[in-house]
Amino acid sequence: MATNEKVGSETMGSADAKSKMTLFKDDRSEDWGAIIVSILIVAVIVVINMK
Amino acid sequence: MSVQAMGSASGKDSFLARLPGAIPGLALIVITLVIIKGYPGMDIFGFKGIEAWMKTAVLFGTKGWLVQVTHLNYILLGILAGMLYRNVIFSGTIPAVLSDGFKLARLMIKTGIIMLGSLYTVQAIVQLGSMAIFLIGGFVVMTIVMVLWLGKVMGLDRSMTGVLANALSICGVSAAVATSPAVEAKGAQVAYAIATILGFGILTMFISPFIGHALGLTDLQYGAWVGTGILNSGQVLAACLAFNPNVAPGTAVSVGEIWNIMRVISIPFAVFAVTVWYWAGQTSGTSAQKKSLGTLLVEKFPVFVLGFMAMVLLTSFGAFGDAGIKGGPPASATIKMLRDVMQWVFGFGLVGLGAYIDIKELARAGGTPLKIGLLVGVTKYVLALVVVFLIKDYLVAI
Repeated sequence: MATNEKVGSETMGSADAKSKMTLFKDDRSEDWGAIIVSILIVAVIVVINMK
Repeated sequence: MSVQAMGSASGKDSFLARLPGAIPGLALIVITLVIIKGYPGMDIFGFKGIEAWMKTAVLFGTKGWLVQVTHLNYILLGILAGMLYRNVIFSGTIPAVLSDGFKLARLMIKTGIIMLGSLYTVQAIVQLGSMAIFLIGGFVVMTIVMVLWLGKVMGLDRSMTGVLANALSICGVSAAVATSPAVEAKGAQVAYAIATILGFGILTMFISPFIGHALGLTDLQYGAWVGTGILNSGQVLAACLAFNPNVAPGTAVSVGEIWNIMRVISIPFAVFAVTVWYWAGQTSGTSAQKKSLGTLLVEKFPVFVLGFMAMVLLTSFGAFGDAGIKGGPPASATIKMLRDVMQWVFGFGLVGLGAYIDIKELARAGGTPLKIGLLVGVTKYVLALVVVFLIKDYLVAI
């Protein structure tokens, strides 16, 4: 894909790195980020419910 | 995985470096969600949240008319609030101070999907998954073949046809972007394809709950239908939660997401198939990317699905106590809290999703890609409903 063409604006459809709908560099990093966030949330919930 | 991998190579652009800047946007989304959904015990001068108000408000002489007739709930209201922020309040562009917070939306949707693993046992996944593979596989192949054929008949550029085939068959935006380098698509062609599928998806996201209620579909039938017929992961999630906002085994979201995950997993296979089709018809040699199925599987496999599977395994082994599966003991306090938190995580993600719907961008859709997109999208949407009706006795409840 040509790099000098702007795809979309700053919406979901954007392939422009600066205006993508994510703070991560790519989908793979975002996937890992989601795994880490979910581990943190689940860990907090498990600790809260420990007798 | 290193922390560096969660951001770009330069430190100031890394995820963790940008996280503090996300706080204002994050706060706005949370406040929006609290106003819409309320929280247990909330009573601010008698105000308990818009959703609670809708349940008691009397309209046209009927108490709770807004909920009973329009089926509005915090999910649809959240998406509408997000759309209102971008398209009306901020005139088309989320301000820089808020934009990084809104960019956490997709992260939240993926996080919620991983946590959804706590709704299933391995046995339920095998039962539902085998049915989903059958439906999703059939519809992915049918859609790709239909788009490639229509593209040829209507004289559409091969690159555009390739992008549109995967955008309409698998997972919308992700598939369009994943396919574009392999079929030498230009940026504008990807934008056309994305605008077409997003526009169609937004329409189906809002009308599906009404159709589902009007036809008296069960959660199982509805989840199977929208999981097959709607193109985008976030939109499947929104349509399911708009139909039934409960997050529990057997609800629309628990069914629709299995369908969705099966479709997301098929991205590398569909990208490979369309790439093979594209290069088979190319006569001139160029330097665009040709990749093996093995390479694409490694590059494009959605890793968050592994997190979802890990949650299913942990739930099956009783790591969080009783899962509250139908016919078994009630859900443990941990599982109940997980499901409550999931509603907030999804609510956050879907307010953000709404804020990324740019009405002006949808106007980019047009011409032959729009005609093919609508033709195939509507066919798939209606056919999925017909198939779900035909096989309703074979759908396995969990």
